[in-house]
Amino acid sequence: MSTDHGTPVSLSTAGPDDPHMQPLARNPQRMELAIGLAMLVGIAGIIGFGVAYWYNADSWVLGLTLGGGITILGFGITAWGKYLMPQGPFVEERHELRGTDEERELFAAAVVQRGGGILGRRKLLAGLAGLGLAAFGVVFAFPLVRSLGPLPGKTLTKTNWRKGTYLVDQTGRELHVDDLAVGGIVTVFPQGKQDSPEGQAVDQTVLVRVATRDFTTRPGRETWGPSGYVAYSKLCTHLGCPVGLYEQQLELLVCPCHQSMFNVTSGAWPQFGPAPRPLPQLPIYVDGRGYIRSQSGFSEPVGPGYWERS
Amino acid sequence: MTTSLTRRLILPLVVITTVALSMLVLFAGGSSGATDTATEVAATVGAAQVSTATNLPPAAYQTGRANSGAANSTLQVFDAKGNLVSYGNSDIVYNQPSAALIPIGQALYAQNCASCHGNEANGVAAVGTSGSYPNLRGLGSATIDFWIESGRMPAADTTSVQANRKKPRLSHDQAIAVASYVSSLSPATPYIPTVRNLSTANVSDGFSLFALNCAACHTITGGGDALASNTYAPSLRNIPATQVAEAIRTGPGNMPRFTGNLTDTQVRNVVAYVTGNIQHPNNPGGLGLGGLGPVAEGFIGLALGVGLLALIAFWIGDRT
Repeated sequence: MSTDHGTPVSLSTAGPDDPHMQPLARNPQRMELAIGLAMLVGIAGIIGFGVAYWYNADSWVLGLTLGGGITILGFGITAWGKYLMPQGPFVEERHELRGTDEERELFAAAVVQRGGGILGRRKLLAGLAGLGLAAFGVVFAFPLVRSLGPLPGKTLTKTNWRKGTYLVDQTGRELHVDDLAVGGIVTVFPQGKQDSPEGQAVDQTVLVRVATRDFTTRPGRETWGPSGYVAYSKLCTHLGCPVGLYEQQLELLVCPCHQSMFNVTSGAWPQFGPAPRPLPQLPIYVDGRGYIRSQSGFSEPVGPGYWERS
Repeated sequence: MTTSLTRRLILPLVVITTVALSMLVLFAGGSSGATDTATEVAATVGAAQVSTATNLPPAAYQTGRANSGAANSTLQVFDAKGNLVSYGNSDIVYNQPSAALIPIGQALYAQNCASCHGNEANGVAAVGTSGSYPNLRGLGSATIDFWIESGRMPAADTTSVQANRKKPRLSHDQAIAVASYVSSLSPATPYIPTVRNLSTANVSDGFSLFALNCAACHTITGGGDALASNTYAPSLRNIPATQVAEAIRTGPGNMPRFTGNLTDTQVRNVVAYVTGNIQHPNNPGGLGLGGLGPVAEGFIGLALGVGLLALIAFWIGDRT
């Protein structure tokens, strides 16, 4: 059938014998039969989906019947268009989109003269409509401003760590001074807050043991590391990811998000990566029965920077 | 028509299939055939003769509560001389290898370990220089056993930052013998753990403990990942139960060690989760693609999905 039909013709000028009007298939009858069979299979699949759904079949049966049915039916429709429709190619010229000059002038006259006259007759209503729109514009700004939220105030700097708060693990068990070996790490929460959203969000702290004797990370923190235990906020000072990767030989806490590394022996000083500040350290002490408790809250606000603090 | 269509389809089909197949091989390479050797080591808690002449070795690492890998566990078994040979509970039993293996272990140590760790196993190498080789005295047999049985020791490259897991040079029995010898120099716990009753462990608890304590470095699918300063967390896809428990209790390399904050029951649950769900994942959809997450899945989706759509569009538009 590959006669001369490469040049596009206008559809209206093509007669029934024109090569452009012939189907692509060599044997249209057989192709019609094949496509019809495919469509029947597709329809059977779709009906099968209904039956399967009715009998509450497994989800893979539902997926297979519906997806398969639609796919095969779609294949039939596409093949119909591809093999049995006139193969063309045809052209159809666009008509002029622009109106004639006469039409445009008539329209402008109708809008300006007649419309203006009608509106001008009811000045009060037009003014009220304008006022309504203006009022809407002003009021619309309220939720925009309010969505900026209330100022966070002290919530950014306050955690649930208090003087004497027990450090507990995720099950609520208090941490004892004998619990960790040097090189051990555990995520701790203020007692009673281990299951609460704010406990898991802002209060989470890593307790690391770096030595067997009292450990000082920085001058002024002489009492903060009893028996070699040091506690730091688990929130990265970069973007607040949980700094949960601890490499005990390198004595590094690593943030999984952007590879900030904090040296636990020097007050969690950021020695690599984008974190701008050390992790806040939690002053802790060991009480008379050997349990680890906090001396007070964190040394500074936890988490990433914000606008009142860079 | 058919021939030219076929000719035009062959090249894109070949390209897409090749790319897709190579990516499947690349990403599905992490499939596991791990065998559970926990049952290999028979748990030997017989008649526990709780002697009054207790001779408890110190823990290699400070340990806290009972049943957390320390010698102060529920069940303790002593030999005739009053030395602790086994301790533990219904979840994990820690056994010291037989003292009869010490001569064999000493010979194996001299052949395989002494050139770096020194004749005295104190980290001073045979040539007399005190270098960066670790002192092995005072380590429990679990530590020695882990490093040898995971193939990391003897190390392939003694100057590398981290020893890689490889096919072990020493057999299981030889590793036990070396562990018996080295830990006899300066007795310490933990002994070599045998995790018991894995099939009845609380896998759900194991998962939450894994997510909290392990997943940060080893990733939630256990595939492992890169860490700081050229170190990495190894994949957990092919690790026997005993080595998982040893790693948790002794903290090899840069891994933190988990002692008093994880009970033996909790360790058993983690081991059950790792040797079960991590090593035999129930991959919805058929292929795990390495458990790498959206990157691998996106690649496959792009190559197969977009490629297939392009081929379909090509077929619809073809007019020859």
